[in-house]
Amino acid sequence: MSEAVTPRPDSKKKAVPARSSKGSLIDVRHLVKVYAGGGQEEVKAVNDVSFSVSEGEFFGFLGPNGAGKTTVIRIITTLLPKTSGSIRVAGMDVERDGAQIRRIIGYTGQSIGVDGELTGRENLWLIGRLYHMPKSLVKERVEELLEVLQLKDAADRRAYTYSGGMRRRLDLGAGLVHHPRILFLDEPTTGLDPQTRNAVWEYLRRLHREEKMTIFLTTQYMEEADQLCQRIAIIDQGKIVAEGSPTELKAAIGADIITVRITRDEAFEKSRDRALEIARMVPGVSRATIFDEGVSAHTADGGATLLEVLRRLDTEKVPVHQVALAHPTLDEVFLQHTGRQMRVEEVKPMSRGFGRRRR
Amino acid sequence: MVTDVGHAQRVITRTRDSETSGGVLTEIGLVTWRSLVKLTRTPVLLFFSLFMPLIWLVMFSQTFGTVFSSATSGGLPGGGSPTPLPYDYVAVLLPGITVMTAIQSASQSGFAMVSDLESGFMDKFFVAPIRRSSVLAGKLLADGLRMAAQAGIILGIAALLTLAGWRIPFATGVFGAVLIMFLAAAFGVAFSGLSNTVALRTKNTESTMMVSFSLTFPLLFLSTAMLPKALLPSWVQSFSTVNPVSYMADAARALILTGYDWTALGNAIIAIAAFGIILNGLAVMAFRAQGK
Repeated sequence: MSEAVTPRPDSKKKAVPARSSKGSLIDVRHLVKVYAGGGQEEVKAVNDVSFSVSEGEFFGFLGPNGAGKTTVIRIITTLLPKTSGSIRVAGMDVERDGAQIRRIIGYTGQSIGVDGELTGRENLWLIGRLYHMPKSLVKERVEELLEVLQLKDAADRRAYTYSGGMRRRLDLGAGLVHHPRILFLDEPTTGLDPQTRNAVWEYLRRLHREEKMTIFLTTQYMEEADQLCQRIAIIDQGKIVAEGSPTELKAAIGADIITVRITRDEAFEKSRDRALEIARMVPGVSRATIFDEGVSAHTADGGATLLEVLRRLDTEKVPVHQVALAHPTLDEVFLQHTGRQMRVEEVKPMSRGFGRRRR
Repeated sequence: MVTDVGHAQRVITRTRDSETSGGVLTEIGLVTWRSLVKLTRTPVLLFFSLFMPLIWLVMFSQTFGTVFSSATSGGLPGGGSPTPLPYDYVAVLLPGITVMTAIQSASQSGFAMVSDLESGFMDKFFVAPIRRSSVLAGKLLADGLRMAAQAGIILGIAALLTLAGWRIPFATGVFGAVLIMFLAAAFGVAFSGLSNTVALRTKNTESTMMVSFSLTFPLLFLSTAMLPKALLPSWVQSFSTVNPVSYMADAARALILTGYDWTALGNAIIAIAAFGIILNGLAVMAFRAQGK
C-alpha cells in the first residue's frame, strides 16, 4: 500500500518515475517558476514539481500559504508563463495551444472575480458568451446553473448585494457555464463560514460524481483535502513532499490509534497487563503501550485490527470499559513530511521577510 | 438537474468552429456592453461626469467672459477685423470644455482597469478563449462612446443657451457638432492610453489618479483650449504649438465659430493619431505583459 505513496524528500537525487501518461488529463513535468524578486533576489516559487491528474479524478494540492499552489494553478490555466518544465493539458502544450486549452477548462480564482455591478444572471451570461456559446444555449445553461447553485431568487439582483457565500457560488458558476472538462479551483472555500463551506463541498462532490468532471483544487485546509480529494499532493516551499490518496498518506504514517479502557475493578492492573500482551500479539499492531486507564495500540488499518483486538479481549474475558479508534489526520501527514505544523507556517513568510531586511 | 454534458460540449465545439472569424466583434461587443452597463448603474459617476463640465462651462464663461470681451473689444489682437467679436466668450470656451471633459474621462479610464485586476475579474477575461486585444478594444470603445455622449450633451445644453440669448454661432450646425463629438471621443480614447498604461504598470488607483491629474491641467491651460492663441503669453503660445490639446481645440473652435477649417481638422486628426498610437501602444504593451 505504501508503494502508491511517493514521498520525495529530495527530488534532485532521483528522477521522477515516469508515470504512464495514458489517460492522464493534466501532465506536469519538472515545472519551475522563478519570480524576479523586487530587488536582486530571485524567488523560486515552484521548484521542480511533477505530477499528473487522470480523467475524472478529484485531485488536490495541499499546502500552506506561499507554498506555490496558486503559482502552479495559474501556470496550468495559462494565466502565468512558466520558467521551465513541460505541461500538457489533454495532450496540448500549455504554451503553444493556450487558446485551445482555455476552451476546455474552467477556473475559479482565489479572489472572487464577479462583477458587482452586474446581476448574477448577467455575470453568468457574459461569461458564457465570452466562450462563444450560442445565445440560446447560454440562456438555458445560465438558468440551469442559477437553479443548481440556489441563486434563482437573487438572479436579478446586482452581485454586490450578495453574501460572501452567494458570491462564491456565483463565481463557481462562472467557471462552469461552458461545461469545462477540467475545473480548476484555487482555494474555493477560503474565508467562508462552515455552513457555506459544506454547501460548496457538497456541490463539488456532485459535479465530480454526476458530471464526471475532473477537478483540480488547491487548499490550505486539511479537512477540505481529506473530504473531497481522491488524491492529494502536499506541497511545501515549492516542492511536492508527498503524494497519494488521503487514506494512503495517512496509512503511510501507520498511526491509527486504538484506545482500550479497562474496567476499574480490583483486578484492573492485571487485566491491563493482559490486554497489553493480547494487543501486541494481534497482527497489524505496530506498537502497543499502557496508559493510566488502559492500553493504546498503533496500527495501519484501524478498523480490521480493532475488531481482532476486541475479539481476543472478549475470548480472554478482559473487562473492557470503553473502546475508541482515532484516525491520523493530514495534519500529522504534513508534520511528518515537513517537520512542521501547517498552521505555524502561515505566519512564517513575514518573519522571513524581516530576516532578509536585516541582512 | 444534470443535462447531457456530451451533447452540450459538442454543440459548443461546433459553434466555436463556425464562429472563429466573426468572434472578434462579439468579444469586443461583450466587453463594451459590460463597461457601459457598469457606467449606467453608477448614477453618481454618470451625474458628475456630466455635471462637472457644465459647472466648468458656466464658471469659466462668467469669470473670464468680461475680461475676454474687454480684451477683444477691438477684435482679436493681430486679427483682421477691428470690430467687436460677434460671439460671446462661451462660444470660444465651449470646444475647450468638450476637450477637457474628454481628458477627464480619459484620466479615469485606468481606474476600471485597476479594479478589474484587483477583483480578479480580469482573470475571467484572460482565462476565456478570447483575444486579449478584444478586452482592451472593448473597453476603449465603451470609453469613446461615453466621451462622445458627454460632448453631445455639453453641445446640446450650449444650443439651449443660445435660446437664452447667449451668442454661440454653431457655424457648421448639427453636422459640425457630430464632428466635435467624434473628435472629442477620438481624443479621449487617445489620452486613455496614458491612464491605462499607468494603471496596468502600477496596479494602483492613487498613482493612476496622480499621474493623470498632474498632466491634465497643465495640458489644458498651456493650450488654446481656454483662450485663442493670440491672447496667450508668448511662452505659453510656443508650448501650445507642441500640445495636442491645442490642435483638437482649434479644430473644434473653428467648427463652432467660423466653419470647416480643413487644415485645422487635418492637424487635429494627425495629432490625435500620433498621440493615440504612442500612448495606446504603451498601454497594449503593458496589457500584454499582465501576469508575465
